[in-house]
Amino acid sequence: MSHAEQSRPAILMADGGAPAVRPRWRLAPLTAARIALIPAAVITIVCFYAFIVWTFVISLTRSRLLPVYDFVGFDQYRRLFASARWWTAMENLAIHGTLFIAGCTVAGYALAIMIDRGVRAEGFFRTVFMLPLSMSFIVTGLIWQWMLNPVFGIQDAVRDLGWEGFVFNWIVQPDRAIYTLAIAGIWQQVGLCMALFLAGLRGVDPNVWKAARIDGIPTWRVYTDIVTPMLRPVFFTVFVLLSALVMKSFDLVVALTGGGPGFASDLPARFVVDHILNRQELGLGAAGAFMMLCTVVAVIGPYLYREIHKSRGAR
Amino acid sequence: MRVSMLMTGLGTGLAVAVATGLAAPAATAQTAEVLHWWTSGGESAALGEVRSAFTARGGTWNDTPIAGGANARAAAVNRMIGNDAPAIFQFSIGEQLKELAAQGFVGDVQEVAAAGGWDAVLPPLIARIAKEDGKYIAAPLNIHGENWMFYNTAVLEKAGVAVPKTWPEFLEAAGRLKAAGVTPIALGGQPWQERVLFNTVLLGVGGREHYAKVYGDLDEAAMESDAMLEAFSTFAALRGFVDEGSPGRRWNEATAMLMRGDAAFQFTGDWAKGELVAAGIEPGTAVGCMLAPAKDAAYIMAVDAFSFGATSDPQVKAAQKLMAEVIMDPQVQIAFNRRKGSIPVRTDVTDPGFDSCAKLAIATIKDPATHLVSTGLFGVSSAVSGAIDDAISQFWNSPSMTPEQGRSLFVQTIGDAR
Repeated sequence: MSHAEQSRPAILMADGGAPAVRPRWRLAPLTAARIALIPAAVITIVCFYAFIVWTFVISLTRSRLLPVYDFVGFDQYRRLFASARWWTAMENLAIHGTLFIAGCTVAGYALAIMIDRGVRAEGFFRTVFMLPLSMSFIVTGLIWQWMLNPVFGIQDAVRDLGWEGFVFNWIVQPDRAIYTLAIAGIWQQVGLCMALFLAGLRGVDPNVWKAARIDGIPTWRVYTDIVTPMLRPVFFTVFVLLSALVMKSFDLVVALTGGGPGFASDLPARFVVDHILNRQELGLGAAGAFMMLCTVVAVIGPYLYREIHKSRGAR
Repeated sequence: MRVSMLMTGLGTGLAVAVATGLAAPAATAQTAEVLHWWTSGGESAALGEVRSAFTARGGTWNDTPIAGGANARAAAVNRMIGNDAPAIFQFSIGEQLKELAAQGFVGDVQEVAAAGGWDAVLPPLIARIAKEDGKYIAAPLNIHGENWMFYNTAVLEKAGVAVPKTWPEFLEAAGRLKAAGVTPIALGGQPWQERVLFNTVLLGVGGREHYAKVYGDLDEAAMESDAMLEAFSTFAALRGFVDEGSPGRRWNEATAMLMRGDAAFQFTGDWAKGELVAAGIEPGTAVGCMLAPAKDAAYIMAVDAFSFGATSDPQVKAAQKLMAEVIMDPQVQIAFNRRKGSIPVRTDVTDPGFDSCAKLAIATIKDPATHLVSTGLFGVSSAVSGAIDDAISQFWNSPSMTPEQGRSLFVQTIGDAR
């Protein structure tokens, strides 16, 4: 209703300052909005859905360097599933994704609460935590690559301070390198989560706090039992944002570990790009890309469905 | 927003292309776009030699540099699919180029090759790989060798270690260097560098015939042989002689370790000479070079080449012919390769100005039996090339893996990729 009322003046303005001449016919506002959306819809359908279909079609072909339509069924998927590197990448995605999302959410929320409690020099801390966000993942990757390098990074610095036996060489350990990815990722994105949570916390009705104080509820109980459930939509937003970042994680791993040692810290996105661009394995890369999509749908789909369903029901 | 910027970029690009296309007078007959990935200082100076020769003979060179070989190859392929093939483009000769040629995207320069007698001067292995259907589809420019061993002379002297001639000798020397507190091998821990080291070991332990069978024919019996096992054992023994900071290190950082004396040896291609020269070290002096320990003389070749987009425009064709002639010109080959650190692809070119390493290489490849393919995109298909890197890198970075497991991983990974 309110939508329709808002859009009416816009239509009038479109008539171009000659209100006397009225068009014979006039589109219903909703139809006009729909027409206005057509270009966006076409772009979305062509650039997004059509390419998903195309990727799937390519994944069923023998394509290597060039797209050729020589269908081989699910042969590329068979090859993909036989590849140790693919499974390492998928496993890494699970580890990195869990740690990254959990780490960012917990640390971001904790920082937001801290700032919300009225820490001194709030602006300073906000800037400090937000600053990494202004850097690209490539820069983050490079910085952490230096810091984690066992020969001249943190390990070396601590040893110089006198702790000769100090060991922090995760980045060169095939079974630990993936955790360094989570560290660098959290470092960069925690500011974003903090900002979102802080906005959420500031949006909480002050009366809630007053009431809680009158009832004598301890502050931590207010956070766990009242405020946190109220911030559910914010948690959802943070989760979706971070999930998207995890799935497309590519630049960070390229800059930080190069997928190494070996391919121990490889991620699916890097696997796909590597196979499509460097190895001329278009079919295999497309199969990998399609499996990534399936993973997203499998993980986020049900959650998204439930959330949307719930919010509709509430209205 | 990024998309819109891209579109604007494309739009401007098109506008410029159209404008220059219309504005170009018919007089500048031999105008050609040259797409390449030689963007670093030394590389671009070397390419400058080709460019000035091309210009001196009346050509107009429209430079399209794209950083990174993989990016540049992808860009060239994308443009071909989009029916806008660059007139001249750098590409690795091998299976990929043949596939492109088979699809009609690549023109041939057989006329120039026949007139210039390329068959007589090119190493037979390179001539074979540069041809599709009996016609040259690329003009090879240089040969890089991958089985080099660079060493810090002062470090070896101080530790009282002689330059090793065999792999057992090397292992013994490396043990002594490690005991003396020097990192024996400066290794850049990226899959392709680990592969260069492995292939060097494979050649040294198995010999060139074995190497040619494994990579030239992808012969399964050879891959499952005892020689392969020995190669994996030797390779595994090297794990202990690399420092902790190796994983992810770039090759030039490893060369810097060698120059500083932090490490004693580096096994890499002769592109390392570029770093030496840039640091004011004459290759073969403070940092020495030898072909890596091996049973018999052999040279693992990586070849840089330029190829030619299919076109029906006679002016572009003329420019392509000119480029092919320029590339194979002996003087251009000398000038280019002295800057690039590689050796001429023409076997009839010798020049006193080459450094001692290049002279050794030129002398070695006089015998065609020494010619071997690099598995980095020369000779083998990129799927197999990638599989080789994967298998070797996985083995190298899994210290618990035994040589037997390494061998079966190698056989299986390559089998899956072909």
